[in-house]
Amino acid sequence: MLTLNVNGTDHQLDVDPEMPLLWAIRDRLDLTGTKFGCGRALCGACTVHIDGDAARSCSIMAGDAVGKKIVTIEAVSGKVADAVRSAWQQLDVVQCGYCQSGQIMSAINLLSDNNKPSDAEIDASMEGNICRCGTYVRIRAAIHEAAKTLA
Amino acid sequence: MTARHLWRVLLVGAVLLGAPRAGIADDQASSLAAWQRLLPVLEHPRCLNCHQANVPLQGDERRIHLPRVERGPDGMGDSAMRCTACHSQAANNPSSGAPGAEGWSLAPETMVWQGLSSGDLCRLMKDKARNGNRTPEQIVEHVDKAPLVRWGWAPGGSRSTPPLGHAEFVQQMKLWAAGGAACPQ
Repeated sequence: MLTLNVNGTDHQLDVDPEMPLLWAIRDRLDLTGTKFGCGRALCGACTVHIDGDAARSCSIMAGDAVGKKIVTIEAVSGKVADAVRSAWQQLDVVQCGYCQSGQIMSAINLLSDNNKPSDAEIDASMEGNICRCGTYVRIRAAIHEAAKTLA
Repeated sequence: MTARHLWRVLLVGAVLLGAPRAGIADDQASSLAAWQRLLPVLEHPRCLNCHQANVPLQGDERRIHLPRVERGPDGMGDSAMRCTACHSQAANNPSSGAPGAEGWSLAPETMVWQGLSSGDLCRLMKDKARNGNRTPEQIVEHVDKAPLVRWGWAPGGSRSTPPLGHAEFVQQMKLWAAGGAACPQ
């Protein structure tokens, strides 16, 4: 039995400590906004925040996440999250949407650390989030747009 | 002394003057020999892949880490691409395949080994200004006990292990240190 703090609430879960955090979030807590893309930490669809930092939940063992603050796309909040959401809507970033939970979580992490990122800094920080529909141009524009409101 | 004996005296004198003092040269020679044996371990992918300037390498084929990550301000990546985003600080991840160990990160900037000659690597290894302020004995302690070093011998997946066993590697380090941490040119 281990306890995971997800979106502000403690949950007691009877899971193997090596279970991917992604499974615990989706299958045990019904928080399906976080997606499975590759299971190998190569696509970023599973991105959540752990203690404020982006983490690939498919590559985090549930046991390693005990005692940490886990936040998913369903509950991420604050002025950076608001700015990102607003920019994403304003610029109609989303195509199929599958990668976007992860993209948004990474973008929020980037803008929380650096509220005026350069293109190179966006490249470096968003490197781990892949989009099969090719919305990269709109993602980049939306990050710049969000940065404007955070300046 | 007659000329008949002088050449014998001169010969013996030359031999005695030219012979190295026993002990110190032996120590140095055995220290150098130990260095030659442990060098292939330091240059093996399990070690060299993270003793890099800015980007870690992956695999026995030493390819650039995919996805691309960089050293960042503290050697543990930057922003949404921190090492801890994917790598456990406790163990290899059996589901994602991402390796993990305590302290998983790039080696400090003073400990970049890529591209160094054997002599330069040896001198870096014993330079307290660059090696984390360690004496040779403390280097032995480090390679013996540090979890991240030990990971190199239990890397999981299809990763190869260094050419010496861990115990043998530690032993060669001890010999190197005991003989005065000698370095080749």
